[in-house]
Amino acid sequence: MLILIPQDAATTFRASGAWGRLSLRISHPDDLAVVGGISEGGGSIISVDPPPPAPRLLAGCDSRPTGYWYQANSELHALWYLLRARRGTSMKLDAFKDAVPSGFKTPGDGGYVAITHAPGVKDAFPESGLPDLVAWHVTRAGFQPIEASAEPETTGIRQLGGHWPVKELQNTRIMLVGAGSIGSATAHALAGYGVGHLTLVDPDRLDWHNLVRHTSARRHIGRHKVTALAEELAALRPDTTVSALALDVIEHADHIRALLADTHLVVCTADGVAPRRVTGHLARRAGLTAVLACVLQDGALGEILRLRPWPQHGCLTCRRRTLAEAGGLDPELALDAGYGTGTRHRPMTAVGSDLHLVAQLAAKTAVATVLQRAGHPDQRLPGEHALLGLRRQPDWAPPFDLGHTAELRWLPATPPRSGCPTCEAP
Amino acid sequence: MGIDDAFDAFQKTVNEDIGKTRLARERRDLFKTALLSEPDVVETFGSGSLSRSTQLKPIHDVDVVIVYDPDEHPEWGNDGPSAQDALEYVRTQVNRLLSQTNGTHANEVRHTLVRNHAVKCFLDDPEDPEAFTVDVMAALRQEDGSLLIPEKLNTRWVPANPEYLIGQVADHQRDWPHFRPLVRVLKQWRLTAPVQGGIKSLVMEVLALNCMPRSGNRSQALKTFFTAAAVRVHEGVWDPAGLCGQIQPDLDHAGLSDAFADAADLAERACVAAAEGDTDNALRLWQKIFGDDFPAPAAPAKPASLITGTPALITPRPIKDAPQG
Repeated sequence: MLILIPQDAATTFRASGAWGRLSLRISHPDDLAVVGGISEGGGSIISVDPPPPAPRLLAGCDSRPTGYWYQANSELHALWYLLRARRGTSMKLDAFKDAVPSGFKTPGDGGYVAITHAPGVKDAFPESGLPDLVAWHVTRAGFQPIEASAEPETTGIRQLGGHWPVKELQNTRIMLVGAGSIGSATAHALAGYGVGHLTLVDPDRLDWHNLVRHTSARRHIGRHKVTALAEELAALRPDTTVSALALDVIEHADHIRALLADTHLVVCTADGVAPRRVTGHLARRAGLTAVLACVLQDGALGEILRLRPWPQHGCLTCRRRTLAEAGGLDPELALDAGYGTGTRHRPMTAVGSDLHLVAQLAAKTAVATVLQRAGHPDQRLPGEHALLGLRRQPDWAPPFDLGHTAELRWLPATPPRSGCPTCEAP
Repeated sequence: MGIDDAFDAFQKTVNEDIGKTRLARERRDLFKTALLSEPDVVETFGSGSLSRSTQLKPIHDVDVVIVYDPDEHPEWGNDGPSAQDALEYVRTQVNRLLSQTNGTHANEVRHTLVRNHAVKCFLDDPEDPEAFTVDVMAALRQEDGSLLIPEKLNTRWVPANPEYLIGQVADHQRDWPHFRPLVRVLKQWRLTAPVQGGIKSLVMEVLALNCMPRSGNRSQALKTFFTAAAVRVHEGVWDPAGLCGQIQPDLDHAGLSDAFADAADLAERACVAAAEGDTDNALRLWQKIFGDDFPAPAAPAKPASLITGTPALITPRPIKDAPQG
């Protein structure tokens, strides 16, 4: 069995006296229990259930008086560690009794669960990592350790503080245009990196055919993708604040433009040429870097474009024209007429995981861009345009002639072209 | 020699001699006091790098701003001949107060020239290429606290807010005592950076304001600065007060970005070397960035082995086989 000790319960143990009674919510099928109530000595048991959203067990299992908790000496916790390593080993009851200064209760036939709190364990065994709260099964024959896990004071991205630039990323605001297959995975990846604020922009609703590639679950069918995604991220990554905007980047360009004043970087994972162009244009006018992610050739190639608003770096259109003139890219004028009959989407043969691989690279590119600008030399990227082989095919024109699946090629930026309405000053 | 000791020693080669700095301040204060005694002058204050304590040696000039009472000069502040008139007025006033021959307050100024924004006052022989000057600027205080200053060539008055930058630098310094000294170091670094057309010192100072952290040691801070500045310089370097536009529009942005990126590479390697206890290698890398004035590591002790002349063996760091998943 695993016994979970939520934050409030752990705080109560640490602040209480010598012993008390214990209530657990137990799920026998899961072989799992959560501390639900604690008493001080022989007094009444007070609930220590955490506030909503409550863990599943709290809703499904009643809280039952199950055992006792004791304050114990530190050596008992060292014993807990050693007995766990020697599975199935138990100790005679006297050893437990001796380690518990007061309140010890002799077990009945079935025994009971005990939780011990050793306040001096960190001083007694520095650097050992021994927990100050552990659990036991106490019977007449002896006592054995039980797996226990106390909720740490810090959870979420702040756990990585000191190893990862949490503060910079928590203060970062990224707009994600396109919450489809790549976009949904990008949103999860950005939140996983610890980006503090995400603004999701996409007018589409989650449809049946999306489920094979999207990160959202079937229960969200019919809802706006941004709404479902925001809800899922709120549950999964509470360190990231998400704004969901069911807007079209072209139709609502003025609205988007206003939001960019409060944005540090834009990621575009939208389908089709026009939304990507518009996003790149708006970002450049706002002086922001845009990261564009997509797959080409029906999902055979992943592509990440980093468009920086710098004088020597051309916009999406300039780069596409340069590639087309070099013979590397077919402009695909009929792109917007694909996807069966009449929608602007093209039939997509990429599997979700390939798209999510591209999404991870897009998020990495975005985060690295933010961190490099903040002065982290270990986050410098090798170029401005990444190509990722998802299903290698022979004889593609350079620079798309990747030799192997999973090969990653980085290319430099191309300069703006004369007369470009995006790159030249308005 | 440790890394901190090396930075301390290098800083001494960058900083101006305290006696010369004190003399410059005395000369500046002479102008401030003399002009403040005039009935149409509301306030005087020092401007420029000396006022921010970010000056690089040698100190050739100091800047003084004279804020006039607008009621005494109602025609000033309007575009047209009043811009040049104001500068000529300052010149006359300075000569009357401080001229070497007949100054009423002191006898220090040997020669004056009216420049675009200020009156350049020579306290040494104007023919001396090292001649020390005080640049005196006329100004009118605006309601928002900023200034209007005359621009002779364009016959207009333009907004400026030098006190904003002074305040920003002081604020950064309050947070982190290495800031001002490192700005001087960076200003020195710019003189050898391979950038076409040169780099204005104010460009480095503003980039330092934007890219230098407010905590940590000097090595980490410089690593951070070079990395961030390599990106930020592409965005242009603008007057922090938002009044005067780009500081050096013709700056070789790409060249400076490349120079910053090269320095960032070396600084990152220096930090890694120092973290692994290889202080000598760290010093050599910092020396590659800042030149021979940065202290070199001590010469290695004579090897006990009879085998001499073996080249230093530099091996890449192995990766530990400690999978995580």
